[in-house]
Amino acid sequence: MSTTSIAKSDYLLLFRGNVWDKGLSPAQLQKVVSDWMAWFERLKAEGKCVGGHPLEDEGKVISGKQRAVADGPFAESKEAIGGYFYLTVADEKEAIEIAKQCPGLEYGSVVEVRPVADECSIKQRAQEYSTHELAGATA
Amino acid sequence: MKTETTTGEYMLLFRGPHWDRGLPQQELQAAMDKVMAWFEGLNQRGKTKAAHPLGAQGRIISGTNGQLVVDGPFAESKEAVGGYLMLQADNLNEAVEIARSMPTLKYGISVEVRPILAECPIFQRHPDLVQRARERAVQADQIWIAAAA
Repeated sequence: MSTTSIAKSDYLLLFRGNVWDKGLSPAQLQKVVSDWMAWFERLKAEGKCVGGHPLEDEGKVISGKQRAVADGPFAESKEAIGGYFYLTVADEKEAIEIAKQCPGLEYGSVVEVRPVADECSIKQRAQEYSTHELAGATA
Repeated sequence: MKTETTTGEYMLLFRGPHWDRGLPQQELQAAMDKVMAWFEGLNQRGKTKAAHPLGAQGRIISGTNGQLVVDGPFAESKEAVGGYLMLQADNLNEAVEIARSMPTLKYGISVEVRPILAECPIFQRHPDLVQRARERAVQADQIWIAAAA
């Protein structure tokens, strides 16, 4: 379900926890804001980060057979995703090394590193299932 | 409530990557077909900007210096993000309506709809600091350019 063909070296960094600025001193805030901007700019200049955006604290969550729509107050959760970077790097090791440089870590931010896949794993499972069924039927 | 994006872009995060478990093959095939048709329909309407599934394996980095690296996310979790779709929509309502039309909601996934911002909400709370940081970055850039020349 991808719009573009992608290399195996693409990773998404998901930044979790989006209220880590609370309680920081102005000097701490100044440093983390500067560091974060410099970090993003450097990764872009190096060609390692091809995109990234913060997400609004507010939003909606849709779930259930009734397709119920609920307000998502994401700001208060430490698990909430606050933004992402799309990385194109050599391997997972490099993606992890970059994640470790996140200036928010010092203040409780958590970074999830996920490989971007070419194909949905469910589609793969469906195909395996189908092959398996076929093998069973012809056996 | 500020829910409008500055760019017309919305991020749909698909949570619960194991909705296929226990489904009979025919039903799974039908669901896959519907998802593909749904996605193609959005593509043709020019609503999709980017979309990818995410590999189940990954790492979670935390700790003050990023020293804690653990395997994750927990694939079994209903909260785990299995993929994303970046939408171009007219407004939040349209983004929500598109999310509601996702065919696999009936199998227990949930879809998070989040406006994409040009600037981080944390940065927005501290515009003066951002301004100073920008000035410093410009200075740093000049130093870097001077060093490279």
